[in-house]
Amino acid sequence: MRAATKPFLCFVALLVGVELVVRVFFARGMSGRFDYGYHPTAGFVEQADGTVRLERAGGRRFFPQHFARERPADTFRIFVIGDSVARGTSVASSYAGQLGEMLRLRGVKAESYNLALPGFGARRKRLVLEQALNYQPSLVILHINGSNEFEDEREWRRREEFRGWHPRNWLMKSLVIRRLYEMKTERVYWEWLPASVRSQRTVSDADAEVQASINPEKNRRWDELLRQQTAVSVRLAREQGVKVLLVAQAGVGKSPEGTPCLDDNALDALATELRGPSVATLSMKETLARHDWAPLYADGAHLRPTGHRLLAEALVLQLVEAGFIPAVVK
Amino acid sequence: MSFTSWSYPFFLIAVVLLYWRLPLRGRMTFLLVASYGFYGVWDVRFLALLLTSTCIDYYCGRAIVGERASPRQVFAAASLPLLWLGGLQLITLHSVVSPWVLALAAGFPLGFTAIYQALWQGDEARQRRAFLLLSILTNLVVLGFFKYFNFFGSSLLSLAGQLGFTPGWTLPIIILPVAISFYTFQSIAYSVDIYRGKAQPARDLLTFAAYLSFFPQLVAGPIERPNDLLPQFTKAAEFNWEHIHRGLRLLLIGAFKKIFVADNCALLANHVFNGQADLNAPWAMIGVVAFAFQIYGDFSGYTDLARGSARLLGIHLNANFRFPYAARGPSDFWTRWHITLSAWFRDYVYIPLGGNRGGPARTVGNLWVTMLLAGLWHGASWVFVLWGAYHAALLTLYRFVPWLRHLEQVEPPAPAAASTSPPSAKRAGVRGRAALASAVMFTFTLLGWAVFRAPNLSGLGDWLAAFANWAPVADAWLKPAGWLALHVVPLLLLQWATRHTGDEVELPDWPWFARGLIFALLLLAIASSAVSEQEFIYFQF
Repeated sequence: MRAATKPFLCFVALLVGVELVVRVFFARGMSGRFDYGYHPTAGFVEQADGTVRLERAGGRRFFPQHFARERPADTFRIFVIGDSVARGTSVASSYAGQLGEMLRLRGVKAESYNLALPGFGARRKRLVLEQALNYQPSLVILHINGSNEFEDEREWRRREEFRGWHPRNWLMKSLVIRRLYEMKTERVYWEWLPASVRSQRTVSDADAEVQASINPEKNRRWDELLRQQTAVSVRLAREQGVKVLLVAQAGVGKSPEGTPCLDDNALDALATELRGPSVATLSMKETLARHDWAPLYADGAHLRPTGHRLLAEALVLQLVEAGFIPAVVK
Repeated sequence: MSFTSWSYPFFLIAVVLLYWRLPLRGRMTFLLVASYGFYGVWDVRFLALLLTSTCIDYYCGRAIVGERASPRQVFAAASLPLLWLGGLQLITLHSVVSPWVLALAAGFPLGFTAIYQALWQGDEARQRRAFLLLSILTNLVVLGFFKYFNFFGSSLLSLAGQLGFTPGWTLPIIILPVAISFYTFQSIAYSVDIYRGKAQPARDLLTFAAYLSFFPQLVAGPIERPNDLLPQFTKAAEFNWEHIHRGLRLLLIGAFKKIFVADNCALLANHVFNGQADLNAPWAMIGVVAFAFQIYGDFSGYTDLARGSARLLGIHLNANFRFPYAARGPSDFWTRWHITLSAWFRDYVYIPLGGNRGGPARTVGNLWVTMLLAGLWHGASWVFVLWGAYHAALLTLYRFVPWLRHLEQVEPPAPAAASTSPPSAKRAGVRGRAALASAVMFTFTLLGWAVFRAPNLSGLGDWLAAFANWAPVADAWLKPAGWLALHVVPLLLLQWATRHTGDEVELPDWPWFARGLIFALLLLAIASSAVSEQEFIYFQF
C-alpha cells in the first residue's frame, strides 16, 4: 500500500485546480461576508445593463432595490444612510420611501433609496456613503445615532480576527472554500430560510454590549468616534458637491422625574455643529415632540411607519427651507 | 474536546505521529495520557470518577478469573482518584472539588480494599459471582446517581407535592459527567464477558485504563466488547498506509454527516420542536424529517469520526450504523441503528431476562423491559421512556400482525443476482414489497423521532395537532423544504452509491477519479457549512 493512492491524488489535484481557477478567474466580486460590513462594495452590484442592484451581501442587509448607475438628468436622487431606525420595516414604510413618494407628489422628479443597515455605526455608515457617492446622489440623508458603535467595534474585531492566523479560520483562507461558503450563505441560507429559523444562529452579545455601555471610558471614545466619522462623512459628501441632511436620532428616555421623554443623547448638538453650507439638519426630538410621540415608537428607539411618515413630512419641509428643492414645483 | 472543534485535528495529528513511533508499552501510556487529556478538557474533576470505575472493574475482572491482588496493590490503585482530586485542589489553589466528594474519595481506598478482601470468602463460584455483582452494581450506582438522581428526585418531589407534602429543602443539582453512559456500559460488558468466559481480563491496570478511556470512543461509543478491542491493546499494530487511508476516509465522511447534514438539518428540527414556531402539516413533516437526518448524521457522523480517529492508530472500532432508514421493520431497525447499544441490551438484558425462550407473553414482557430501559438510557426524562415504550409497542405490533411480520421478512434480491439475471415480474414485486416495508418502517421511525425530540408531552401534542392544519402559516415551507433536500439528498446519494458495501466509506466499484471527485465534493460540502461548532446530540446521554 502506497502513501498516496490515485483517488487521493485526484482529490488533491481537484482541490488545488479549483482553487487556482477561482483565484485566477473569480477573485473579484467577493460578497464580503468576512469583512463584517467593512467591505467597500458589498451589497452594491453593478450590472451589465448599467444599473446597480442593492442586495443582501456579507454584513450588509440592504433592502433589495435597484437604480441606474448614472443618475438620469433632472432627477433628484436621495440616498438615506443610517441604521435600523432609518431602515424601518420596508422601503415603502421607511421615511426614505415615504419621502420619495411625497416629493413625487409635489412634482419633484425624485428617487429615494434606503441604504440603511441594522447595527451600522458611524464607521460603517461612512463606508456605505463612500460607495453611494459613486452614483451621483443629489442629497445624502445621514441618520446619526450613537448606539451602534459597540457593533462597529465588535464587527471590526471579527474582521481582524478572520484576517489573522487562528486555526479556526484556516479553511476560509482557501478562496474556493470561502466563495462557496459565501455563496451558500448569501444565496441559499438567507434566501431559503425564514428569519425565525435563521435567528437560532444569531449571536447574542447583549451582555457584552450592556457591560460596554456602562463603561464611561468606552462611551467617551465612542462619542468621539461618532463625531469624527460623521464629520468625515459630511466632508466627503461636500467635496463631491453633494448636499447633506443630518437626521439626529431621538429615542425614548427618562426625565429626572422618572417620566418617559424624548432623549437626543446630545446628537442634536452634534448635528448643529456640523451644519453649514449645503448641510442641513433635522432634529427627531423637535419634530416628534410636536406630536403625541409615544405611540409613534415601536420600542425605545425604532419608529412605527406613522413615525416614519412624520419624519418624511418634516424632511420635505426641511429640504424646502434649506433650498435643496424648490418650494413650488411647476 | 469535541471532534469538530478546531483544536481536535491538531490533537489527533500529534497523537498519531507520536503513537506510531512508540513501542507497545509506550503506546499504552501515551494513549492513556492523551485520552485523559481529551476527557479532561470537559471537566478534569470527573477523571476521578473514570479512575474509580477503572480501578473497580480492573480488580473485579481479574478476581472473576481467580487472580487475587495484594491488598497493598488494590489500596494503591484505589487511592488514585483521591490523589487526582487532591492534586487538582493543590494545583488550582481553589476548592474545585466539594468536601464531601473529597471525603468520599478518601474513604474509597479503604472501603474498596476491605470489600475486595471480604469477597474472597466462600467457594470459587460464589467469589466470581460476588465480584461480577460488585462490578455491575458499582457501575449502575454511578450511572444511576449521576444520570438519574435529578430526574427521580424531582419526580418524587413533584409526586410528594401533589400528595400535599412540601419538604423544606431542595435537592442538590448533580452534573452529568460526559461519557458516563458509555464507559459504564463498556465496563459492565467487560466484567460479564469475563464471567461468561468469553473474554480474558486485561493483563495490567495500564492496559485496562487505556482500553476504558480510549479517547475516540470514550465520549459516545461505539460501546466495544472486550474481545473486540482489548486484544488490539495487547498486541502492537503494524503501521500500514491502509490504516491512514481508511481513517481519513472515515473522518471525511463523519465530518460530512455531522457538519453538512446534521448541523444544517438541526436548524429546521429545532425551529419546529422548540415550541416557538407557528406549525402546519408541511412544517411538522419537515421538522421530523429534518430531525431524523439530524440525529442520524450527528450520531453516525460521530461514530465515523471515532472510527476514523481510532483507525489512524491502527485500531478497529465496530460500526454502529448500517443504513438504518432502509430497515424493513423494527427488529431490522435495531440491527442497523446504534448497533453496539442494541447488541448490548440484547446480550446483557434481553437474553438474561429469558429472551424469546419463555413463550409469546414472556417474550413481549422481556421486549418491553429491554426497550423501556433502552429508552431511559438515552436520557433521564419521561419522553425517553415513552420513546422506549413506543419502540417496544412497535416490536410487539410487528410480532403479532401477520401483514407487518411478512413485510419485515421480505428479502430484496441480492445485488449480484440482480445484475446477472434478467428482470422478472417476481423480482420486481419483491423489490417493491421491500421498498414498501422500508417506507412503512421509516414512517414509524419518524413518529418515534417526534416522541424522542419533543421537549415534553405537550410539545408532542402540538406537533401532532399541526397535522390537522393545512392552512398557510407565517413562514412558507417550500424553500425550507428545499434547504432540507439540499442537505439530505447528497447523503442519500452517497448511501445509494455505497449500498452494496453497506458502509458509506466504501466505494470499491467506482473508478479512482470518481472516488477522488466524490471526496473533493464532500470536503467542499463540509467547508460550505463549517463555521459554528455544534455539540453532538449523544454527548448529553
